Amino acid sequence: MPKNQFINPAEVRKPGYIEFNPIPVNQYNKTIEEEKENFSKEDFLRIYHDMSVIREFETMLNLIKIRGEYNEIKYDHPGPAHLSIGQEAAAVGMAYTLGVEDFIFGSHRSHGEILAKGLSAIHKLNDAQLEQIMDTHFDGKTLAPVKTSHKGTVKELAIKFLLYGTLAEIFARETGFNKGLGGSMHAFFTPFGVYPNNAIVGGSGDISVGAALYKKVNRKNGIIVANIGDASMACGPVWEGLAFATMDQFTELWEGDMKGGLPLIINIMNNQYGMGGQTCGETMGYEIAARIGAGLNKDQMHAERVDGYNPLAVIDAYKRKKKILEEKRGPVLLDVLTYRYSGHSPSDASSYRSKEEVEAWEKQDSIVWFGNELVNTGIVTENVLEEIRAEISQLVTSTLKLAIDDEVSPHMNMKKFPNLIGEMMFSNQSVDKMEDCPVEVNHPLAENPRVKQLETKERFMFDENGKPFSKIKQYALRDGIFEAIVDRFYKDPTLIAYGEENRDWGGAFAVYRGLTEALPYHRLFNSPISEASIVGTAIGYAMCGGRVIPEIMYCDFLGRAGDEVFNQLPKWQAMSGNVLKMPVVIRVSVGSKYGAQHSQDWTALAAHIPGLKVVFPVTPYDAKGLMNSALQGTDPVIFFESQRVYDIGEMFHKGGVPAEYYEIPIGEPDIKRAGTDVTILTIGATLYRALDAAKILEEKYNLSAEVIDARSMVPFNYDLVIESVKKTGRIVISGDASGRGSFLRDLASNITELAFDYLDAPPVVVGSRNWITPAYELEDSFFPQPQWIIDAIHERILPLPGHICENDFTEAEQLDRNARGI
Amino acid sequence: MAIPVLMPRQGQSVETCILGQWYKSVGETVKTGDILFSYETDKASFEEEAKADGVLLAVFFSEGDEIPVLSNIAVIGQPDESYEEFVNGASTVSETAEIIVPDEAPVVFEFEVEPGDLSDHLRISPLAKNMAEKLGVDIYALKGSGPHGRIIARDVEAAATTVSKPETVAARVKPKVQAPTAVYAKGNDFEIRPVSNIRKLIANAMHQSLQNSAQLTHHLSADARQLQRLRKKFKTEFAEGKIKQNITINDLVCYAVIRALEKFPQANTHFLGDKMKWFSKVHLGLAVDTDRGLMVPALKNASDFSLSGLSAQLQQLAAQARGGNINPDLLSPEAATFTISNLGNYGVEMFTPVINLPQVAILGVCAIIPRPKEIEEGVYGFVPMIGLSLTYNHQALDGGEATRFLAEIRNQIETIEY
Repeated sequence: MPKNQFINPAEVRKPGYIEFNPIPVNQYNKTIEEEKENFSKEDFLRIYHDMSVIREFETMLNLIKIRGEYNEIKYDHPGPAHLSIGQEAAAVGMAYTLGVEDFIFGSHRSHGEILAKGLSAIHKLNDAQLEQIMDTHFDGKTLAPVKTSHKGTVKELAIKFLLYGTLAEIFARETGFNKGLGGSMHAFFTPFGVYPNNAIVGGSGDISVGAALYKKVNRKNGIIVANIGDASMACGPVWEGLAFATMDQFTELWEGDMKGGLPLIINIMNNQYGMGGQTCGETMGYEIAARIGAGLNKDQMHAERVDGYNPLAVIDAYKRKKKILEEKRGPVLLDVLTYRYSGHSPSDASSYRSKEEVEAWEKQDSIVWFGNELVNTGIVTENVLEEIRAEISQLVTSTLKLAIDDEVSPHMNMKKFPNLIGEMMFSNQSVDKMEDCPVEVNHPLAENPRVKQLETKERFMFDENGKPFSKIKQYALRDGIFEAIVDRFYKDPTLIAYGEENRDWGGAFAVYRGLTEALPYHRLFNSPISEASIVGTAIGYAMCGGRVIPEIMYCDFLGRAGDEVFNQLPKWQAMSGNVLKMPVVIRVSVGSKYGAQHSQDWTALAAHIPGLKVVFPVTPYDAKGLMNSALQGTDPVIFFESQRVYDIGEMFHKGGVPAEYYEIPIGEPDIKRAGTDVTILTIGATLYRALDAAKILEEKYNLSAEVIDARSMVPFNYDLVIESVKKTGRIVISGDASGRGSFLRDLASNITELAFDYLDAPPVVVGSRNWITPAYELEDSFFPQPQWIIDAIHERILPLPGHICENDFTEAEQLDRNARGI
Repeated sequence: MAIPVLMPRQGQSVETCILGQWYKSVGETVKTGDILFSYETDKASFEEEAKADGVLLAVFFSEGDEIPVLSNIAVIGQPDESYEEFVNGASTVSETAEIIVPDEAPVVFEFEVEPGDLSDHLRISPLAKNMAEKLGVDIYALKGSGPHGRIIARDVEAAATTVSKPETVAARVKPKVQAPTAVYAKGNDFEIRPVSNIRKLIANAMHQSLQNSAQLTHHLSADARQLQRLRKKFKTEFAEGKIKQNITINDLVCYAVIRALEKFPQANTHFLGDKMKWFSKVHLGLAVDTDRGLMVPALKNASDFSLSGLSAQLQQLAAQARGGNINPDLLSPEAATFTISNLGNYGVEMFTPVINLPQVAILGVCAIIPRPKEIEEGVYGFVPMIGLSLTYNHQALDGGEATRFLAEIRNQIETIEY
């Protein structure tokens, strides 16, 4: 909460009413005749053409799915095809006014939007631009199949390219827009302003907001359109995205040219069904989805319902709404009413709706109606329309032939290149800044109060006599993270950071103290307390080309951003065929002392999901070096931090934490204490308890323990650990995560497989109990303690003469706990 | 009444704060709400307001001091008022030792080490198993000290130290009568029986020897007439009670070999990979066939003995080996510098003995066989010849050396005097 915003009780306690403005519903009422002054014959024909292309393309897919055949071409497509037959006017109306620089995001039902936006972009790009785009996409691999036999204009070629790239993608061909790795529900093509479609309902609801944030913060031309379904308005992340998009601070606190709303249109493609659930009358209560706008901000998001069965009504709405966005009064919410004749998917028998209903809508079919109107108003003759349709049928037929030809459109050769997809999971680049332009900061770095304060700190924990400096004089872990981040803020103009209490407060754990002074609002701000939007927007921001540090205040809140962290962030680099980069570093703070919902180590969840890099440094030197690496990279990194050690000084790296920039490669564990008799491998702050255990082992049992800090989980280079095990023959793996299903278990299993012949006992996991995390006073019975490690060694690895166990590490107990699920 | 000014506690985890700046000095009048001083934690900076009206009577700390939270750092009161009572406890941070008193006795979990069970499933760690193989330790003879009696590395290590001075072997050799051999499995025409411990040891040592060295054997025979002459003489003299020691052919051969070794010290060595151990004395290993299998006790300083002394010593050694009361130190392959294995009594005409590593050679003594020999120019007769088979480690000795050494043995045998 900024201090300059004064909450005056006298004001806020006054009685009154909230007043709403009427929300327009289908207010467009112009005839084609009247629109002749706004549209040329070519314009009208283009609208008809584009709608018909979509219709034919999806009709083809429908026939392939249900009959295995289109125009006597047989093909079996086992994958998904969520069709939008009937919704063409809404798609074309949406895309018609958009420029190439305007980006659309979509849903699982977005073939129509891809084609509409692609056709719109082709219309607006000149031949040279089109050739450049087509020639450079995957070095012309997508273009090659259609180029070979093409005779005609570049624009005609581009249309073939668009249809082919989309269809090849749907059919999982390597020549598809995303190498066949996205498929029907995720296909997209950024050069035409088509950004990822999303197979998770409402998935674009927060990602698109991040894209709009990117446009705004980086002063890029263009707007963002989020095409999401009417049923997705029930999804939490969509609401979170809306809440983020309508934050007051854009107009109240952001300064200079940054003041003003996001360039975003939430475009509800309201086909009135969510799968089989009817959103009006059954599964939702809004009746008319445009009503939602009134609940979000004073502007009611300029919401209105538009008749999506008339392309001109949608175009009219877009012309008006784009003006609002240009005036920085966004975001806008549009409820574009439409209807799909096709089922949710080919397996949907439409048992939830009557035949009469479908027929009634078919009678009002937008393409038929629009064609008739064009003929009736004398703009064209039926012959012309028929020619257009015939041409399109031919186009779709030849596209299909090409896309199913295994010679020209092969699938990825996984037999020959078995790691092909693996190599696409990470981009692994080293990039100083995502864009080369001046950085916006408030003062030179040297003038920053935190930076000045750090100059007085002791960068190594001990003085020359080995005595530790007082806590407050030590350069702490939080300082290491800060230094890496502030350095990057002064290097990369696109870098922004946000989360709960990131500004003014300086972050709940004081990592960002000093950043508020250094950065303008648009580079560091407080987000709503809604993790889905924090991570989701970051994904959209990075997709468009920015670098971003979202923060999750407690690891326990990761679940709140489950879809974003598990389904979106890790997947888009590979699903895009490596078109997209994902330089997102999520700072996740792992708590303690605060009980069951604020003290959990969920590293295993992150490590389990393919496509995330996962690190957990617990020394100032490692924290700074790994944060530098994370921020230099182009991959999503889940950066775990422990609240137990934010204030810990550097006790390992001789010479202390360097003031200058350095990187520690992600994936390399580190020996924190050398030893010969037993290895203790730890994740997170458990390191310090393992060191205590090592000390006891040495002093009491004359056993020399080697303590290794995993530092990273994904990737993880086992060499160092295996070498250690070869030397010691024994290993305990410990961390604060609940033992069951933890990454500790993964380490143990791999070590067993990789070093079996060198083991003198099975690797033993000492994790936290599989309980709720109890109160601070009881934590010692939940989190691994030094004594646990020693007991486990005694009981399972190497009986220690004279040792008396305090904890039960017997096999019987392990069996029993597992049998009881605790 | 004077009241103390406390260093505030900003959050539970904060134990100390650093005093930033005093905004009021001693003697100055302060009002409630006046900013009194600034201070900082590791997370943030703060300003503290006066909580009372009065005069700042005293300050106990200076700017930059690190101060425990909730300490009295100043006093506000009326002029001339005493503030003595607030002075105490004002100390900057110092280390205080925490004394932890265990509040209850630790729970004791009984830990049982089950003995390694031969007939049951053998528990052994992969590392221990590999080590045992390398060190030639019999895992079935070990008692595991790991969890559930698992044999772990330290058990093998302990056994390996004793195997090289094989107390355990001797101890295990002790039982006079071998227990009736257990039968693991039976078929129509076969039985599977466990291998005895000594057998395993021998098997391993022999296998290791052939695996870890480059062995080859030269055969040659020596004129045994002098041996036979001496043997006959000793036999008679012994029977007549003229001498105490019944000196055998084997004793004579051993004596001759020792003399040859003195001339060829390179055969009286241990080969240790990157170095060789040269001995000034000959410690002679003698292969002895016992009920329990092959044993090779060493006669220390064999080169110091006279023929009759040598004979007596060898006889005693063989008896000890057969009786099981041999000093186990003498059974180690490291105890001897050269070994002789005599199969002559059994009529073996030629064989390839296996070296006891790290020794570099072993002499096989074969039967005495009459062979045709040119006695004078053009005159041939049958002469008793004794077969000699020298196996040597080509890593340590070259063929020429070995041949010359073997020829020297022949020479010594043929010219032996007493």
